[in-house]
Amino acid sequence: MSTQVHAPVTAAKCAKCGTVNYPKRPVCKTCRGEVFEEIAVSGEGKVLTYTDVYALAIDYETRYLRLAIVELDDGLRVTGQLLDEMPKVGKRVKTTIGIVREPGDKPILGLQFVPI
Amino acid sequence: MNPVYIAGAGMTRFGRSEWPLIQLASVASMAALKHASLGDIPVDGVVVANMGAARVNKQTALGSALVDQLALYPAMAEAVENGPASGASAFKVGCQAISSGMADVVLVTGVERMRVVNGLEGTDFVASLSQPEVEYIYGVTLPSLAGMFTRLLMDKYGIERKHLAMVAIKNHFNATRNPYAHIQQTVTMEGILTAPEAIVNNPPIAEPLHMFDCCPVSDGAASVVLVSESIARKLKAPKVLVAGIGQATDTHAVQEREDPTDLKAVRLASEKAFGMAGLKPSDVDVAELHDAFTILEIAESEAAGFFPRGEGHKALERGETALDGKLPINPSGGLKAKGHPVGATGVAHLVELAWQLRGEAEGRQIQNAKVGYACNFGGFGNNVVATVLKREAE
Repeated sequence: MSTQVHAPVTAAKCAKCGTVNYPKRPVCKTCRGEVFEEIAVSGEGKVLTYTDVYALAIDYETRYLRLAIVELDDGLRVTGQLLDEMPKVGKRVKTTIGIVREPGDKPILGLQFVPI
Repeated sequence: MNPVYIAGAGMTRFGRSEWPLIQLASVASMAALKHASLGDIPVDGVVVANMGAARVNKQTALGSALVDQLALYPAMAEAVENGPASGASAFKVGCQAISSGMADVVLVTGVERMRVVNGLEGTDFVASLSQPEVEYIYGVTLPSLAGMFTRLLMDKYGIERKHLAMVAIKNHFNATRNPYAHIQQTVTMEGILTAPEAIVNNPPIAEPLHMFDCCPVSDGAASVVLVSESIARKLKAPKVLVAGIGQATDTHAVQEREDPTDLKAVRLASEKAFGMAGLKPSDVDVAELHDAFTILEIAESEAAGFFPRGEGHKALERGETALDGKLPINPSGGLKAKGHPVGATGVAHLVELAWQLRGEAEGRQIQNAKVGYACNFGGFGNNVVATVLKREAE
């Protein structure tokens, strides 16, 4: 039986200054605050940049991966896999969760982007 | 701070090597020690730069291993791992040992033997420097970060693929003048971009980057001998002063950078290095930049202060960065053609500059080069070491 593992798709919102820290860190990058509220990383946004990468790491059997950095509407930027046959900078997308890496028999679930 | 001088420099040819890791390091070190002509002056310290030996060569504690091979006991010794900036970081540690008065002679050797593993494993070992939870887990590799960065810059500044190709063409040409370079073969605009067969010769690696935008995977080692002022005075060799070193860091994940098109750590490290040296970018006669991807040579040439932002590709197109240009960049062939044995790269930059400033760079010598600059780019720009070297009058 395979067990699924989740990539961390939550961020740490600083209780003092409101900065969303993603990746999470114990000290806020803006004000050095140490108290946070955990928030989900999801929503709609636009493609900031993307690539089709053929130089892959281990755990992949595909020929290439389409990766993107997406700027969500609240300003947070996130990296993930872009599931779009017609990718374009500026295009509107929304986040979804899917398998992003498969080391052995433990698929990892993480952020993917699909066109709206 | 007490002054530090480079008294000797040597390296192996980069490429595929059958030598064990520590033999590569030994050969480069012995060349640098011979170049320094220390006579009976002892080596007080050894610093080895390396990124992947623990994983790909199953070897650790490289400082101790190199001391033993060269019979330099009881010299102090350590290894420095700082991703692709390991080389210049180790150089900085060596300089600190001398400038603090703890040592008079330090050998700094960068080494990597990464062709022993297959492409996937090699790409993965370098990708392990990326942010594990928000980058690596998604399949991010260094080429993918470079590809996404390239697209941003192309859109913002009107950089075209032909400009990227110009970096490759220039650096491949320079490498034909460098007997230590991995790839000693020229390439043409037709062959890698404009001819119908170019797509076969030059397939995509991380769109919009293609194969000839990316450095090869290389084995190799590079080494310098650092000495204090009192030792430098005893040696007959030309005096190459370590005029300034600057280092700066930035967010681990690229997505978090305030401006993802700005190589902020390159800018800050360079400002510190020039400030320490009391020199300006316009004083530089020769530069070695970290062109692991062609776009990086263009972007670093701006962040280091040589050209205004968005103008680097235009200076390149005007020939200003060629061997006979106003500011020759990567006369060694750069990472693009000289090769990129990761831990060796930052030291190899300084080997090339030391040779250039001593007038020993033979077929690629920049005439009257007095000031050199190097940028060793770690992570994808999250840890950068900039160095300024200066030839002192006899």
